[in-house]
Amino acid sequence: MRKAAVLTVVVLAALAGAAARGEAPRPGGTLRAVFSADPPTLDPAQATDTTSSAVIRQVFDGLLELDETLTPVPALARSVRVSPDGRVYTFALRPGVRFHNGRELRAADVKYSFERAAKGKRPWVFEKIAGARDFTKGAAGAIAGVRVVDDLTVELRLDRPFAPFLHLMAYDAAAVVPRDEVERRGPGFASHPVGTGAFRFVSWRRDDQVVLERFPGHFRGPAPLERVVFRIIPAEITRFNEYRAGQLDLTDIPTGQCRSVQADPQLRGEAAVWPTLGTHGLRFNVEKPPFSDARLRRALAHAIDPTIVVERLLEGCVHPARGILPPALPGYSPAIRRPPLDRERAKRLLAEAGYPGGRGLGPIAFNFNTGDLNQRIAEVLQAQLREIGVALELRRLDWAAHIKLVDDGSAVFFRQGWIADYPDPENFLTVLFHSRNIGAAGNTSRYRNPAVDRLLDEADAMTSGPARFGRYHQAEQTIVDDAAWISLYHYSSRALVKRHVKGLERSALSSAPEFLVPLRKVWLDR
Amino acid sequence: MLFGITLLVFLLNAAALGDPARAAMGQRADPEALERLRREYALDRPLPVQYATWIGRLARGDLGTSFREQRPVAEVLAERLPATIRLALAATLVAVVFGVAAGALAAVRPGSALDHALMGAAVLGISTPVFWLGMMLALVFAVTLGWLPVSGYGGGSLAHLVLPALTLGALHTGTVARMTRSSLLEVVRQDYVQTARAKGLPERVVLGKHALRNALIPVVTVIGIGLADLLVGAPLTETVFAWPGLGRLLVAAVGQRDLPVVMGAVLVFALVYVVGNLLVDLAYLLIDPRTRRAAA
Repeated sequence: MRKAAVLTVVVLAALAGAAARGEAPRPGGTLRAVFSADPPTLDPAQATDTTSSAVIRQVFDGLLELDETLTPVPALARSVRVSPDGRVYTFALRPGVRFHNGRELRAADVKYSFERAAKGKRPWVFEKIAGARDFTKGAAGAIAGVRVVDDLTVELRLDRPFAPFLHLMAYDAAAVVPRDEVERRGPGFASHPVGTGAFRFVSWRRDDQVVLERFPGHFRGPAPLERVVFRIIPAEITRFNEYRAGQLDLTDIPTGQCRSVQADPQLRGEAAVWPTLGTHGLRFNVEKPPFSDARLRRALAHAIDPTIVVERLLEGCVHPARGILPPALPGYSPAIRRPPLDRERAKRLLAEAGYPGGRGLGPIAFNFNTGDLNQRIAEVLQAQLREIGVALELRRLDWAAHIKLVDDGSAVFFRQGWIADYPDPENFLTVLFHSRNIGAAGNTSRYRNPAVDRLLDEADAMTSGPARFGRYHQAEQTIVDDAAWISLYHYSSRALVKRHVKGLERSALSSAPEFLVPLRKVWLDR
Repeated sequence: MLFGITLLVFLLNAAALGDPARAAMGQRADPEALERLRREYALDRPLPVQYATWIGRLARGDLGTSFREQRPVAEVLAERLPATIRLALAATLVAVVFGVAAGALAAVRPGSALDHALMGAAVLGISTPVFWLGMMLALVFAVTLGWLPVSGYGGGSLAHLVLPALTLGALHTGTVARMTRSSLLEVVRQDYVQTARAKGLPERVVLGKHALRNALIPVVTVIGIGLADLLVGAPLTETVFAWPGLGRLLVAAVGQRDLPVVMGAVLVFALVYVVGNLLVDLAYLLIDPRTRRAAA
């Protein structure tokens, strides 16, 4: 007889923290937070950006959420059971959870929310569920793999095992919405969201501010904060000035001020820099000459020194990259070796590829999107490559134009970073290098390597553990050796947080000024 | 003319690289979702059809739906209009009050130290980058002295309006000051001013009553044309002061290739410009009795 493997996710994590340090959260007060842009939408099915997510995560709950260590823990689901073959996930919902309109949450809301979001802007969150692709395409009336067992039980069936599936269920695209409210408000739901979250929506003046207030009926009990005001301030210097004038409780450190802020006697104790899950990459289109030749790509990789960018332009506040995966990611390996800085080797490879001293290559177009930092990085690259005889022609375009040339493969050498949606190597390596994702889906370097595909397919389906990570490392080293990318550095969050703000998690998934952490844990000590 | 402007904007947008559906998808675009979105936005239809549809809707008073916000464009614009109008009017007021005063003072003794100082300041005002000026004003009056808020709309409070209005008005103040001065100097050479002086009227009355009124005609023209400057300068001022106006909206919409919003905002700017010039023509009637007679 086979025994069902039961994965009971422990509920303790959320309760630790402040209580353990003997500080009782003090109720009351308004947290004055800030965004750098107006959120395009507050509807979890339509959002694709971190600003929208930062609000959505407070107003809505998912079946699960991520704790401070990026581990999925229960939220709307009380527990989850995984079948021995890793294909069936059974979620038991918490009884008595209420939406902000007072109605009780039922399992049917989960099914409705998933099917609605599967036709939204992030359908890939649901594509592992059996029948989701057919449903999204309109070939089926429902997602076959989503089953409402009873009012408090939902069963999700996958086509094949997928290790990071619980991460997907903790992602804000999988937030649960109330069907009655969505249908009543129609498109207006995006401007007036209603969820089960610890904060409910109060108002949104576009380009000015979003206001939330504590939801007293939250299933975890009322949050300490009474209100949260997210100001929308596009200029970083203005955010910094508002912070210094005492009008914001948290913000980001402006570009170029990372060191000076940390040295400032007043701000020093309020500055916090921590690594996040992102990589700044220079990508080649490996399908198109001249970069279809790996020797040429390697030559450039040997000629580029990320430490200059890290030290001079980013003041040492980020980590130079070795490979693709950032050090803050579970599953990161410090053993990955990037091509070392070696101009002689670069010149030899250049000659082997048929361009001795860069002759015959002509100026190479380097595409990047508008931004002071991107411009300065491009200039550094230009100077470094000149040393081996390679000339770069800098092409600066706004994001919409840049991404068009990148997606359709007409850019041959370009800047494009990546920020994790969820903390798993699959979200980097499979999305960015599996041949099935060539193009806008993520693999814009158009890398195609059957051996890497096979390693990624295997790892994606394995249960978590060293054997799974081992396959990712093997794939990553192959990709780095093939120089499909030249990684420059890993992102970090550079934040200023007033001393009276307590309980704000420094998650590797959130980058100031948009904090993607649960604000229900935050309280003000004053 | 408005028709021509919308056609031009539409064509420019069509020529620009980039796809609104792709821009709305963030870093990871699902190919099928992208196709669905293009159909939803009607981007799969030929360009002439897209434009004809837009014009057809416009004729019925419908500006279409924003790609980015999925709401009627009219609603999107109407939300930002009050903030834009407040800022433009306040900036114009700043320009007129400070500009005319500085110009008149400078004209009292042309060539004096005061004249040089004022006209120097006017040139500075014209050539100072809006973004930098805004930052400096905020640093001094908001961060250091704490007299005024750093940024924001503040629900429409007057205190929040002061710094953005000064910043946006500065550029224009210089132009108005220089125009007032040169126009006034021209007028004082006229015979009727000499007559007024010969009558023994005090210089204050000669300049203030007789000369200034006539000197204002070209100044009013400058103010009208200056409305265009205010619209050009507005996105920067709105950005540095986090002011929720149309300029910032337009810049964001261009970045997102949100064509319905771009077309709508440009249409509003064009209308404001036309109405502004109409108001200038009406102001001539008030200031210059000759135009009143001609009109009658």
